[in-house]
Amino acid sequence: MPQPLSTREANLFRTVIRNYEDKQYKRGLKSAEQILKKHPKHGDTMSMKALIMNAQGKTQEAFALAKEAVSIDMKSHICWHVYGILYRSEKNFEEAIKAYKFALRLEPESPQIQRDLATLQIHVRDFQGYTQTRLAMVKARPQIRQHWTGVAIGHHLEGDLEQAENVLTAYEKSLSSQTPLKTDIENSEALLYKNSIIAERGDIQRALDHLEKDCKNCLDRLAILELRARYLGELGRKEEAANAYRALIDRNPDHPAYYKSLIEVLDITSGDEAAKKAIYDEYATKYPRSDAARRLPLEFLTGDDFRAVAKTYLTLMFDKGVPSTFANLKYLYSDSYKKEALPALAEEYIQERKDRLGEQANGDSSKGEGAALYFLAQHYNYHQSRDLAKALEYVEGAIQLDPKSVDFQMTKARIFKHQGDLERAAAAMDQARLLDTRDRYINSKAAKYQLRNNENEKALTTLGLFTRAETVGGPLADLIDMQAIWFLTEDGEAWQRRGNTALALKRYHTVYNIFDIWQEDQFDFHTFSLRKGQIRAYIDMVRWEDKLREHPFYFRAALDAVNLYLGMFDKAQATSGANGTESKEANGAEEAEKKKAAKKARKEAQKAEREAAERAAKQDPNKPHKAKEEDPKKKDDDPNGLKLAATETPLLDAMKFLDFLLQFSPRNIAGQLAGFEVFIRTGKYLLALRCLKAATALDKDHPKVLEQANKLRKTIDEVLDSLSPKTQEVIKSELATVPGA
Amino acid sequence: MDIRVLRASDIPLIQHANLENLPENYFLKYYLYHALTWPQLSYVAVDVSRPKKTPYDQPKIVGYVLAKMEEEPTDGVQHGHITSLSVMRTHRRLGIAEKLMRQSQLAMVETFGAQYVSLHVRVSNEAAIHLYRTTLGFKTEKTEAKYYADGEDAFCMKLDLGFIREQIRDAEEGEKTAEGKDTEGIDEGEAVGDVGRDPAKKEEKKFKVRVGKALGVGELVERVETAASKAS
Repeated sequence: MPQPLSTREANLFRTVIRNYEDKQYKRGLKSAEQILKKHPKHGDTMSMKALIMNAQGKTQEAFALAKEAVSIDMKSHICWHVYGILYRSEKNFEEAIKAYKFALRLEPESPQIQRDLATLQIHVRDFQGYTQTRLAMVKARPQIRQHWTGVAIGHHLEGDLEQAENVLTAYEKSLSSQTPLKTDIENSEALLYKNSIIAERGDIQRALDHLEKDCKNCLDRLAILELRARYLGELGRKEEAANAYRALIDRNPDHPAYYKSLIEVLDITSGDEAAKKAIYDEYATKYPRSDAARRLPLEFLTGDDFRAVAKTYLTLMFDKGVPSTFANLKYLYSDSYKKEALPALAEEYIQERKDRLGEQANGDSSKGEGAALYFLAQHYNYHQSRDLAKALEYVEGAIQLDPKSVDFQMTKARIFKHQGDLERAAAAMDQARLLDTRDRYINSKAAKYQLRNNENEKALTTLGLFTRAETVGGPLADLIDMQAIWFLTEDGEAWQRRGNTALALKRYHTVYNIFDIWQEDQFDFHTFSLRKGQIRAYIDMVRWEDKLREHPFYFRAALDAVNLYLGMFDKAQATSGANGTESKEANGAEEAEKKKAAKKARKEAQKAEREAAERAAKQDPNKPHKAKEEDPKKKDDDPNGLKLAATETPLLDAMKFLDFLLQFSPRNIAGQLAGFEVFIRTGKYLLALRCLKAATALDKDHPKVLEQANKLRKTIDEVLDSLSPKTQEVIKSELATVPGA
Repeated sequence: MDIRVLRASDIPLIQHANLENLPENYFLKYYLYHALTWPQLSYVAVDVSRPKKTPYDQPKIVGYVLAKMEEEPTDGVQHGHITSLSVMRTHRRLGIAEKLMRQSQLAMVETFGAQYVSLHVRVSNEAAIHLYRTTLGFKTEKTEAKYYADGEDAFCMKLDLGFIREQIRDAEEGEKTAEGKDTEGIDEGEAVGDVGRDPAKKEEKKFKVRVGKALGVGELVERVETAASKAS
């Protein structure tokens, strides 16, 4: 039980809560102090004070105070609730859940604590716990749909589809007296959610019946059309399915899957090119502006049929001057006939135009020729058909026709890059940028090429032309704020090439932290989505978040970091080995380099600070910009990564990145190879072996695989006696299965 | 190239496309907020033709439209709003932006009963203005001075969606007359590819719609909206 207060103090206490909710922290503290003056050991007030202090960034003091409050008022649900909230804000979800559960034991009916507990439980994917908590909420307030839906979500994600459906049905039955409005989006989505569960159970006939009867007024028309087409197809009702897919194509003739499904349900065999083509032709005529209907036949047609259709397609695209023609077709190059035919057709197009127009080709009519030359330049620049001299020739031809074309100039830069001349490539891309300084796309590309040429400072200046001027800390801060992973990765790699380990690590860690933010971003939606009722979208998000870190964005930066840490470890080993003067010298040079880099980083930070101060001073006070209260939690105590680079345990630090690589991208061989290198250095031979086996399974002919197998054998030979007999046995028998045995 | 509705897993690359192309950028959470509040309204154009190098490669997003419903319309009329629209420079002149917009507009009417759709555009962005005005039929409502962070003005544009409601009604009536005889070939949105040339053609009927904040939105919305730049 909370300690009772007098009316005056009780009112004050309510004010504290209100102040906290309105983020009026100073006022809240003042009121809390007033209560504490009279009742210095009032747990609830102490807790509220702790909550406010935490919001102000005084985390440690807040925890100490909240802990004291709990020990004073062990029986107060408020104290426990606050204690849980503090843990939750520190992302210590396990402790937070414990505290909420305590609070709930003292106040079993509190909807607030129930909701907070449920949110945390689903956040950590404790589906059973979540379902239990939601069930308690249903019992307390059975009239609220959200609670029922919550229970269903718990069952659904846990894999109990039958229970999930039953819960939704139970709620519907309780509703029978009133019919929901046609425009009730929550009801509409709840029905479609239930339909998706029925389908997931594999009962397609029932899903179709439910869709046609119960969902016929649902508001997401596209979903209904798509589900119906799919169900009909799966049930073998092919004629109806065909009509359903035709309706979908009419709605969106640029979604290739509809055509493919239509052809499937029409029982057209994959060898029947003519019949397939007839379908696409029908829609190419009906929807002249659909790209899919014209382009998709190029995938299955062969020989002269292919040539004829490709010619029509290319002519249309070149005449319109579509720049993405090559990008849209290059996937056909896995077929060597098509790889030959397409550039030949582009040449033919140019020749025929010349014959037709004679000498008078000029002005707008050169658009087609330029597009064809551009296509050929990209063709010869593409790795499957590369001839860079020819590529350059064609792109120069195109540039001659249209010297102001950003696209042409951009491709020229890309050719230089493939020639390995990064400096020239960066300069050419910057020229392309100057042709259209209002376009951020070309600006980003120019900056990227500068980074590839190790010009970090210049790249940041380039990017600064588009980042928001009012962000404190300049372009870099804006790019970090806006989660520009591409930049952080490229910048880190450039710093790494320049030997600036500190800044390289800093960038990779920043990428890592952004993924943490992205994972945390789902938190508010656990309650928000139930209010909004868009449950299918919510489920889609939960499933995506569960594999968030398999994104190539994470993989690339994390792999860079692991490799960098490996290099740091090896260097440290080499120098501590006391191998005579040579390594000492190397060490000295490296020290000097390090110091230089650190000094430079310091200077840059000072400059950035100065500039930010100047900008702040220049800010027009009349302009509507929110005066941001400086968030004390936001200060970075290692902006240039010097602390990161000073690590004594590079391999331990690498594990932070490596764990997720192996967990989320086990089928990417580069991660397994890097894992091996870390584990063999830390003496985790079984884990090294596991990585090696995984890499072998992915690509036994990879040159690294044999190299690592030999390395492992050699290392094992040296240390075998120090291992336990069981480990020895396992390793020996397993080593027999990897290459080189 | 594939035009389809947005999925949560697309979001990192949508954000990437936005960062590469436009000066108005948003946190990932702001995209999530759209995807989880009005999942029917946002569309992407995907380059499906790139061969995957690893099983984890994501399809490249070459264009997107991020759209929403106005939660508390000041004029009391239910309407949609285009938060952001972009097509990669390398994929222009294929009509992608128009196709994305038409899909979104249709869903705004069907799912949320939108009466019109609004957007902001830089007064200097001639290509976009051409698309909105000439191709899609938007009208300029007014100019908002210094709307963008860099001080540029914005045109506020609006498109009445009555013509889509009209089409839906026609399709439904066609369906009713066909009922009992033959329900095949229900053609829900036939004219999507080429509608919009003359939006003011028919007199529109009045519809009852629910307006305003029937479902609580809470702190989340305010926070992300102030966090994201106000530009759209």
